[in-house]
This record gives sequence, C-alpha cells and structure tokens, in this order.
Amino acid sequence: MQAEAVNYIKFTLISPEEIKKLSVAKITVPDTYNEEGYPIDGGLIDQRLGVIDPGLKCKTCGGKAKTCPGHFGHIELVRPIIHTEFAKVIYMLLRSTCLSCHKLLLTPEKVAEIKEDISNFAKSEDEEDLTLTLAEDDRNMLIKQLRTIKKCPHCGIVQQKIKFERPTYYYVGGNRIKPDEIRDWLSKISNEDLTLIGIDPGATRPEWFVLTTLLVPPVNVRPSITLESGERSEDDLTHKLVDIIRSNQRLEQDIDAGAPQIIIDDLWELLQYQVTTYFNNETPGVPVSRHRTTKPLKTLAQRLKGKEGRLRYNLSGKRVNFAARTVISCDPTLTVNQIGVPEKIANILTLPVYVTLWNIEECKKMIKDDKKNIVNIIMPNGLRKRITDLNTDDIIKELKPGIILERKLEDGDFVLFNRQPTLHRASIMAHQAKIMQGKTLRMCDAATEPYNADFDGDEMNLHLPQSLEAQAEERYLMQAKDQLLSPRDGRPLLMLQEEELIGLYWLTKDDTYFEKEDAIRMLASVDVYELPKADSNKKYSGKSIISMVIPKDINFEMQGILGKIEIKNGILEKGILDVRAVGASGALLLVEIYKKYGSDITAEFIRKISLLAVYTCSYMGMTLGISNYYPTVKIIEEREKIINEVFDKTNKLLEAYKNKTLNPLLNYTRKETYEMLVLAQLDEARIMLEEPIKKYYTVDNKAYLIPTVKARGGISNLVQITMALGQQSVRGERPSRGYKGRILPYFRKNDKSPQARGFIKSSFFDGLTPIELYMHAMGGRDSTMGKSLLTAVSGYLQRRLIHALQDLYVIDDFSVRDASGSLIETIYGGDKLDPTKVKLIENKK
Amino acid sequence: MNDDENKKNSYNVVPGEPVGVIAAQSLGEPSTQMMLRVFHSAGIGSIITTRGIPRVMELVDARKTPSSPSTTIRFNEAIKKDYEQVRKIWKSLEEITLMYVIKDFEENFRAGTLTFILDKEKLEYYELTPKKIFTKISKMESLEASTEGEYKFIIKYRGKGKTIYNMRVAFNRLLSSVLFGVPGIKKATIHQDEKDKSFYIITAGSNLEELMKIEGVDKWNIYCNDPFEVLEHYGIEATRNIIANELIDIIEEEGLTVNFRHIGLIVDTMSHSGKIKGVGRHGIAGEKESVFARAAYEETVKHFINACVFGEKDFLKGVAENILLGKQVNVGTGIVTIGIKNEDLKKIKPVEIEQGKKKEE
Repeated sequence: MQAEAVNYIKFTLISPEEIKKLSVAKITVPDTYNEEGYPIDGGLIDQRLGVIDPGLKCKTCGGKAKTCPGHFGHIELVRPIIHTEFAKVIYMLLRSTCLSCHKLLLTPEKVAEIKEDISNFAKSEDEEDLTLTLAEDDRNMLIKQLRTIKKCPHCGIVQQKIKFERPTYYYVGGNRIKPDEIRDWLSKISNEDLTLIGIDPGATRPEWFVLTTLLVPPVNVRPSITLESGERSEDDLTHKLVDIIRSNQRLEQDIDAGAPQIIIDDLWELLQYQVTTYFNNETPGVPVSRHRTTKPLKTLAQRLKGKEGRLRYNLSGKRVNFAARTVISCDPTLTVNQIGVPEKIANILTLPVYVTLWNIEECKKMIKDDKKNIVNIIMPNGLRKRITDLNTDDIIKELKPGIILERKLEDGDFVLFNRQPTLHRASIMAHQAKIMQGKTLRMCDAATEPYNADFDGDEMNLHLPQSLEAQAEERYLMQAKDQLLSPRDGRPLLMLQEEELIGLYWLTKDDTYFEKEDAIRMLASVDVYELPKADSNKKYSGKSIISMVIPKDINFEMQGILGKIEIKNGILEKGILDVRAVGASGALLLVEIYKKYGSDITAEFIRKISLLAVYTCSYMGMTLGISNYYPTVKIIEEREKIINEVFDKTNKLLEAYKNKTLNPLLNYTRKETYEMLVLAQLDEARIMLEEPIKKYYTVDNKAYLIPTVKARGGISNLVQITMALGQQSVRGERPSRGYKGRILPYFRKNDKSPQARGFIKSSFFDGLTPIELYMHAMGGRDSTMGKSLLTAVSGYLQRRLIHALQDLYVIDDFSVRDASGSLIETIYGGDKLDPTKVKLIENKK
Repeated sequence: MNDDENKKNSYNVVPGEPVGVIAAQSLGEPSTQMMLRVFHSAGIGSIITTRGIPRVMELVDARKTPSSPSTTIRFNEAIKKDYEQVRKIWKSLEEITLMYVIKDFEENFRAGTLTFILDKEKLEYYELTPKKIFTKISKMESLEASTEGEYKFIIKYRGKGKTIYNMRVAFNRLLSSVLFGVPGIKKATIHQDEKDKSFYIITAGSNLEELMKIEGVDKWNIYCNDPFEVLEHYGIEATRNIIANELIDIIEEEGLTVNFRHIGLIVDTMSHSGKIKGVGRHGIAGEKESVFARAAYEETVKHFINACVFGEKDFLKGVAENILLGKQVNVGTGIVTIGIKNEDLKKIKPVEIEQGKKKEE
C-alpha cells in the first residue's frame, strides 16, 4: 500500500542563499489586498506565492487553488536578526570559541585526542556515511570544560566573561555585542571545530542562526478568511509578517536618512521583537504579541506545540471517513459478537467490493438485481458514478476488473466499535453488524465491561475499515468473542451483569419450578425445542431448564459465593450460577467453556443464559419500591444501640484526651492519636451497622438480594438508606475546616464530638438534618473533586507509559526489542507465554 | 511437531506482538480505578507510606527522592526470634534530636544565648549522658557551650552578624541535630511474622549504609522501597526487582491484578541501560532516537531546533514517527512483508485481461 519508501529524514537549517533560491517573490509591501480586493504585487498575498481564492491562477505554476502547492517568498532584513530559538546555542558557541581568533579553545594536542576517540569509535561501525561526533554526554562534558578556559591556546588572548541575557542580548566583558558582530564571529568558526562539538557543518552553519533573509510561507499556509459581512480576516502569521515588513521598512528609511544611532538601535530592537514573536510568541522574557482584541497571536511555535498543535492534533491523530456515532442501548437478543446498526446508518456507510476476474459475474448480478444496495461505482481512474435506472445496462457492459463497487452495510459485515476513553485494546473490537430498526447502536450487555459503557446516554463510534488487509485483521484478530480474556491479567472481560445475575439466582436456586408452558416459552426463546425431564409434579426445575443450554459433555466444579456449584455431563446438579461462575469475580464457568469449546460456543452460551435470566427476571417481577427499604422497629432499635455504643467509646476517648491521660502513640502527638483512634472507632460503626441488616433482611427482600448476589452495590448502600450514613470524610480525615475551631457556628468551639465532625446519624430514609446535609455535601464535594483529578492524572500517566513503551515488540526469537533494535528482554516474560492465555494453563493444573 | 507441542506453542506470544503497548495499557487502564489518596496507613500507629497513583507515578518516573522511604529490616537466625535483642536494636534506630530530650528552653536574643534543661528520664532511656551531649555540641560551628549544674546548658552565639535571623538559624540547627540513632530513620516499629514468628522492624526513612552495619541485621534480607538507595548498595538487578515489587504491591492493595509480565517489561525498559530511567520526558520517552517521536510527545519545538543544530537523522523505525508520516507501523502485523526470490520473480508473466477472460501468453 505504500507508494514510496522513505529511508530517513534529516533535519537541517536553510541558508540565506537557499532561501533566495527557494523564494519566488521578494516581499516588500506590508499589505495584502488593494482597494479593489485584488492581491498587491510584492505584498503578502502576492499571487506568485500561490492562490487560495477560487478563480484566480497562481502566477508561478499556473495552478488553481486546489492544485497549486504554494510557493515560498522572502523578506530581506536590513540588519541581521537573531533567531531566538537558537539563542542558547549561540551562547554556547560564543563561550566555546576565542573572542579574537574564533577558534575552539582547545590545544592542538587535545583536539588530536578527541579526533582519535572519534575515529576509534568509527572503526567499530560499518556505516560509512555516519557523521561521526562525540556521544552526547561526552560532548556536554567538553562544552562544560571549554567554558572554564581563560586563555586562548592559539593566539594567547585572555578570554573575557561572556554574558547572555534573555531574550537576545550578549555581552563580552560588559559590552554588548550586536547581532552583526555575532554573525561575523560565528561565520569565522571553522567546520573542523564545529564537528568537534557535535554540530554538523553539512547541515548547519552557525551564522545561519542570525537571520539576514526571512522565509515567507506560502499563502495556503496562512489562508485569509472572508467573513459573512464580506470583510477579510487575515491569519495571525500574515499579521505578524506585516509587522515585520513595516519595522524593516522604518529601519531602512532611518538608516538611509542617517538617523542617530540611538534611533536606529531602537528600531533594530523593534524588528528583533517582531521576528522573535513571529517564531514563538511565548518566548520567555518577551512581551506577548496580541491582536487588537488582546487575544495572543498564534505564531509558528504555537502552531506545532501541544495537544491542539500540528503534531499531536493533525499528524498523530487523523480524521477518518466511513464512521458513525450515536447513543448506545442494549439488546439481550444479540450475542457479544454482534452489534445492532440503525438502518439509517447502514444506508449511508459503505464497504468496497473489488471487481475481479473471479467475482465479476456476481457483481453484474448484484447491479442488476440489487441496485439499491450499491451506492457508487468507482472507475479505475478514480471517477465515482451513481447507478441510476438509465445507466445500469451501460455499467454492466463496462464492468471489468479494477472497478470498485461501493455497497451498503449488510448483516454479518465486520465493523469496529469503540468507546472513549480508549484505555486498552479491548476498547476497540470488531463486531458483526446486524441492521435493525431504531436509531441507537445496540449491543449485548455482556460486552459493556471492556468498553466500560453503560446505557445512560453514552455514545460510541463505529468504523468500517475499507482495505482488505484491515478487514482481515478485524476478522482474525479483533472479534469481540475472541477478546474474552483480558491481556492485563488473563481474566474474562465478557460477563453477565446486574439483573442477569439476579435472574440466574432465581432460575437456578433449588426451589424454582416452572409450568410446562413457561418452560416451553423460555426454552423456545433461546432456540431450544425440546423439554428437559419433568419432575414428579410435572413441573420443570430452573436447574433443568438452564442445563438445556449448557454444553452437553462438560464436567465442572467450583466454589460459588452461595455454595458449591457442580455441573455433571452438562447438567447443573448443584448450586446457583453466580458472579464467580459467570460474573465479574472470575467467570470461571465461562473460562472453562471457552477453553473447551472455543469462542463461538461461549458467545452463544452467554447469549442464551442471559436471555433465560432476563426472562426469569420479568417472569418473577424484579421491582423495587420504598417498602423494600422501610426500616423496621427492630432495625431502628439496633441502630440506636450501635450508635450509642460507639458514641460512648468516643466520649471516653475524648475524656481521656482532655484529662491528658490518653497515651500518645509513638511519634504522634496526643491530638493526632486522638483523631486516629476516633476515626477508627467511627469507621467501625459502619461495619457494625451492617450486622442488623444481615440479621433481619432476607433474600426475599429484593433490596437485600441485589447486594447478596453481587449484582450491584454492597450492603453498605443498604445501611446508608435504612440506618445511618455514618462518618463523612474530607481528604481521608474527619471534616475540620470552616470557622475557627468548628465547622459551623451551630457548634461550640473545639467541639470534637462525632456529630460536630461529620458523623451522620440519620439515614437517607429519615432524611438529613440541615447540619448533616452540610457535612454530607462536604464529603460529596471532596469525592467529586478527587474523581475528576484522578482522571486527569491517570490519563497523563497512561500517555507517558504508552510513549515510553510503544516501540517494543517481540521478534521471532521471542526476545523483546525496541525501535533501534536494542535488547530489552531476552525472552518475553522469561517464558515467552502470552499473558492473555496464562489463566488457561494455570486452570489446567 | 506433535499435537501436544502445538498446543503448548499456542500459548506463546506471537512474534510481532506490540508487548510494550499492551504493558502500558495494562498498567494505565487499572490506574483509572485506583485511588488518588496520597497517604494510607495499614493500621493505627503504623508507618505511613505513600500509596495509590502518587506512588505509581513516583516509581515509574524514577524520582530521586521518594516521598516516604521505608526499610524492612530482618535479622540473623541467631536473634530474629529474640524479642529483647530486636527491641534493643529497635531502640537504637530512631533518630533522636536534641529538641526531643529537652525539658524546657529559652532564647535570649539580646544576650545571644540559648538556655535549656535536659530531661533526665529521656536521657536515661536512650542511655545518654549530659557529658556526651556536651562533647557533641561543643563541636558545632559558631556556638559556645557551657554548663550550669548537671542538666542546664547555656549556649552562646559566637558567629558573625548578631542578627536575630542568624541566631535563630544557628539555634534551630543545634536543636535539630541528631544525638542518637541512625540518621534518616524517622520512626521504627517492631512487627512479628505470622509464619515463622520471627521479629522484624519497619522504619520510616531509609539509610541502608548505616543499617547494614548494625550487628545482627541480615544484609541479604533487608528490603528498602527507595530504588536509588538500593541501586547504590545492591546494583541494578535488585533495583529492577524493587520497582516491580513495589508496583505489584500497590496494584494488589487496590484489589486489582496485573500480570507480572507487563510490570516486568516496564521495569526492564526502565533499567536495561544499566541506569534507572523514568518513563517521562527526562527518561525513556525523552531519550528516543527518533526526533519525531520525541517531538510528538513533549517539548516539540526544542526537539526540532536541536535536531537542526546537530543535523540529526530520523530513520523512521518506531511507531510514532510512522503514524506521523502516514506509513504502516513497524510492529504487529506491520512487520510482515512479502518475500519473493529473484528467480521466481522472473517466472511471473503479465496477464492481459479482457472482458473477464484470461489470455495467457
């Protein structure tokens, strides 16, 4: 697919001569358009630099707006200007060379020594054209040494101290040296000397750091925008270039008029400022150049830099066609490997059909019979045609290998599905499309885990890779069903969620029986058309129903959260299928089936059991109401008892603290010790409060069932609803800030009791008192802030890790190499095992 | 190859697999679920160490000074089950400053003196005598010490510039001078191993050099969580293991799991040059060969400018630079190319296609 091979890219500077060679126009007029709205010759929108207005022709190449690549112009600066980005390199060179003879401050012996070092290094290398210099560390050492030499070993002149002041001032022994003197100095440094300190004279001569001509970018680099009002608005770069030319002209006029030196210096300074900000408007020590609206100008460096800069925004990230994005919702009838695509999207997105010798007849038939399904045909010369009733016959006649048909998305096509943030490789997976009614993208909820998606309004992206190579990768590497195991730890990524676990609990618990009709209906919904053995009452147990979808010859035993699970010959004999078997804490049954039967059967199994589970849920009626949470008298009594008990303990601690009888823990103050002990005590209250819930609630109460089968949340949520919210925390401590010595003026000063420091006695059911509400808000705000900070921090951590490690890959001898070929690991992981598959082997043992 | 071997090989990584990216994602993805809390203590009164994301960042960045260094000291067979012996060592570990053994003190800036009274009980506990303290103090610069009675000390400022600031600085330096214990050890606690009932000490602060000198300490079983401290005394391999160990510890503490292969690869990349390099802009990512890869990461302009000055070449071997140019990336399926022998190439004859029929020469 790659047209040309690029071997390497070398970075060099452009010399003034080269600039002039490149340039097609010398820019002299600090203006853009004349009164008639026509580009001025010699102005910044000179037509020789290329055109952007439709209708005009480029005077250099004759191309129109779309075909002309743009051409460079140049400005001749009256006085030399220092390129600020190189200011530090200039400083380094000035300090490394003699101020009189401009030779490197090294004795000939030392030079010979370094040269020998370099040539020794050269012998070990085979490459001939490698420009040989010292290693970076050695080079820096050498430069550091050069700074300290007081007397030139060549001409014997004593060196004076050279000072550099931001942005572009250089002083030799207290006297400022101007850019033209610096340019002279730098131009006298010999090529040989430059090679010694690592600068490649073939690429860069140091005098080019001081500009005499300035390259003007083509107009299509800085296009002007025509506003609705017909007014033209120029690009920031054009604005800056206008400023440069203006300053340049003023300086020229004053020099010609023989103005006093001070005025010339001032103007020179101004030109320096304009050029500096043209390159980088964030140069330290230089005032920012602004628009009339006080918005800072976006000049060259700003265009490249940062997240929205050219490199990260336009080059590392690319926009694509053949993509769609909408809201997602779930559909339990889909397998993990399927994705429901709305008709509207499927009618717009296309996949190419390459006409070849082998499929030409099919293609003809497709055009004839299924015209609506083909959107475009692309001729070998790149022309796109629509198929209409009129030209059908012609097209069929013309059809030959090399033509590409663009057909609409169909059922079974592979598409890529993605959700941001794309944190790991399972955040983009290939699914098979299924065209559906409706306007949302539909997915199986067993596949939400890898995407970290939910259906509260999340949007996701769909991509249709066009090339055959990409389609092959989708099919063989990226299918969702093949991503069952996570490369992170080898645990399953696809699993049953939330209400499916509740459904499975009801379906597989021991005393669940269904009438014949119900059993038939349930099994028919998962394409099973035979009934299991009925029991003595002519009823069908839930276990026997689910056994119909378990692969027939599987024998499996495991410990679930609610007891042992036993499957014999594909029949669930004992136990309840729970989170450990099919959910988030291991999904061991899924792993077993995957290991034994592969991904297809596993995907089918997931679909079938989740359908059965959802069916059971709706059969049983999974509803919650306020009555599920109504605290009984007993619970309220228990709550009072526990809270009083805890308060007693904290009061005792407080007393001990006040009497100074509380022994401080080692290396803590008494105050810190008290805080720690109280916090531990109040944290314990939360755990103690769970006991009565466990004691008085049963799984008959659906509110209690949900945490028990680990479908969602924990018992602590139930505690907070029915009993007490407990201790609030701000930054891991009891809240303490607000007024002096107290959080709210409601309390006495230095009140250290639990309530004054954010302990909430009420439950959500009771409702909170105003004071408690305030405390709760403090804790809530802290956790919200923490979360948003965490996403930023961990996002940056991930970016850095990826950048550091992205080049590493395994070569065919299983060693890990980086981009330059250096050895990172001799054998990947020590045993060349794929971490994705490690769990499969471990289970075997 | 028989079936068994085939199956065995199917568990291997596939050549070309971009294991680096997978490792980075495997550590990065769970980090969104980790906590941001800086401090976490395992129990009341135990050593507080940095945990969670801040600690992961610290390790992965290879920061020179960790925010909470800590050492676990284990002892020789002879004394490791002897509580009294261990306690004796423990007592000598924590650094005791002069401030800690003073009962009361008074500064007089007009006279330039500092008067303090030593706490007799504390001195006895740490087996210090006023004489020992006196000899220690008298060595200090610009201060002159004299005693009044056994426990009262008078210190006179004899330095230049009798300003309050200068005196304060000198006095503070005196009061915070370490009299006893191992410098750098802020705190120590004794713990007992549940398995073999041996005692060990966990310290806040680290000073491997001094700790290893203590008699009875098992040099080969000392564990320090500061990579650079370990690097200095035990070398690069030990340091690699320390970083990996610490990372795994933190991740598992959060109830998350990451396969060791990923962590191992990250630490191997950090240490394969013989030095410890962080992953950030001053480490691996900032020292890449490719100019484009560095520029696409951070400090874009700086890297381009330097590349021009030194005439650098970008050989386009890594991932970032190829994405930048719109070329196929050199990992994964991208490493596969079609090879054909020269003589075979000659055998291929052009096929003329006309109206869907093959016409061979």
